[in-house]
Amino acid sequence: MNKILIIEDDEKIRKELENFLNRNGYNAKALNRFNNLVEDIINEKADLVLLDINLPYVDGEFVLKEIRKISNVPIIMVTSRDNEMDELISLNYGADQYVTKPYNIQILLAKISVLLKRNQSAGINQDKIDCKDFILNRSKSIIEKDDLKVELTKNEISILYFLILHRATIVPREDIIKYLWDSEYFIDDNTLTVNMKRLRGKLEEIGLNDIIETKRGQGYMLK
Amino acid sequence: MNFFSYLKDKLLLIVLSMFSAISIEILLIPYDINIIVRLYILFSIFFAFIVGILVEYFIKRNYYNDLNIKLNELKDKYLISELIDIPDFCEGKILKGVVEEAGKSMLENVNVYKHLQDDYKEYIELWIHEIKIPISASKMIIENNKTSVTKSIDEELDKIENYTEQALYYARSNTAEKDYLIKKYNLKEIINQAILKNTNSFVNSKISLEMNDLDIEVYTDSKWSVFIVNQIIQNSIKYSSRKITIFKKELKENVVLYIKDDGLGISKGDLDRVFEKGFTGENGRIIGKKSTGIGLYLCKKLCDKLRIGLQISSKKGEGTEVRIIFPKGSYTSFSK
Repeated sequence: MNKILIIEDDEKIRKELENFLNRNGYNAKALNRFNNLVEDIINEKADLVLLDINLPYVDGEFVLKEIRKISNVPIIMVTSRDNEMDELISLNYGADQYVTKPYNIQILLAKISVLLKRNQSAGINQDKIDCKDFILNRSKSIIEKDDLKVELTKNEISILYFLILHRATIVPREDIIKYLWDSEYFIDDNTLTVNMKRLRGKLEEIGLNDIIETKRGQGYMLK
Repeated sequence: MNFFSYLKDKLLLIVLSMFSAISIEILLIPYDINIIVRLYILFSIFFAFIVGILVEYFIKRNYYNDLNIKLNELKDKYLISELIDIPDFCEGKILKGVVEEAGKSMLENVNVYKHLQDDYKEYIELWIHEIKIPISASKMIIENNKTSVTKSIDEELDKIENYTEQALYYARSNTAEKDYLIKKYNLKEIINQAILKNTNSFVNSKISLEMNDLDIEVYTDSKWSVFIVNQIIQNSIKYSSRKITIFKKELKENVVLYIKDDGLGISKGDLDRVFEKGFTGENGRIIGKKSTGIGLYLCKKLCDKLRIGLQISSKKGEGTEVRIIFPKGSYTSFSK
């Protein structure tokens, strides 16, 4: 499990973010003292750092600069300062990403996953998700069951992935659409119906009949 | 400076010198002096008088004409004191002193207000950064506790976020200093960022979106442009569109971005005034469509600063088309 270090001075955001990341399959840890940040961050040996710019004692940009002298750990700068200059300074100091508050949490999640993937050592295929009755391979965009496999479009992969994340619960249609939008697939209600139909068809091709249930007026559920 | 008005100023001198010439002539009558001597005396008095007056006239005329020309050519007229030559005559010296003093005092006065405005802008920016933290925290809490109630609060938070953003750009649009940085950006990224701010509205109101081929590079400031595009999209959503279409046309010097909707549209009479501050028009008075008259005004102002064109056309009941014209060249940029 990837370890994500959260450096954030607002207590509520810190707690909620930690909570959210933990629920989404990461091992999140938040630091709550800021007087010896550079050393503390290095000692934590995290896979990724979320670093706020406005911090007590020191400036986040300064911390970033100091860390970069020693370590190449992926760093996402998080800030409520919203101007081009700050962004440029951060990127020049070696930040990998720059996110402004209030951020769209799904997008933050996507950025984290992209950065981690880029930094992951070869050999471990993070993209293969074993879903008991089938295997979802996101990087090849296929699903496999026994010897059978079928190729999915990007939209279909995203829909299926979202259903897997919320397995055995009812997922409202709007939630699926919003998730796709956050991945920059701007589909509407009708397109979702079409995509859903095709996805079911493809699942049936490899013998997965009726694993997606329609809950009338509520949404879909992956059994 | 006109010669007659100058003579009028010298009326007292003229009368007095005529009086002195006449009185000398009268005084000389009993002494039976040669007519030539008498004429000579008369002549020398008038000669001295006329030459004196003409010389003074030409000196002053040159000086004041020069001053007028400089004043006319100067853009910031209050700087005239810097351009006044120090003249030889004392009226001019007084004038220069007075103008210099007045200019200085005015600059000091203006600086007081400039300082106040900078101060206020600084405070607004700080305040907006502060308010974003509780907004972020609330959004995160909602993300961790999704129910129909919190989803509805989430939509309201989007509105709060939008209003704070408007205030931030309003503060930025009013100061002379540059708060933006023009670079090369991909148009599609700008549009995507603006659209993502409105995911909730799009999905909840079931509005469909069509985007065609927006992969092109333009020169602009990305944050400002995202704000502008976001305002336009929000208007489309607000005024009951079912479908929003976004596409571009490439011209020789520009890229024109089209944002088209099939919403309420704007009546002909209102169309010319949509960029006016505080103008709400017919649509603004529809119940439930509260309009502040700030959004488009601010867009236009920011566009002007970035040298981006902004045009709008519409037909009542059919929809609205907004065109944003980005420069393709780099003449406004200083960094790659």
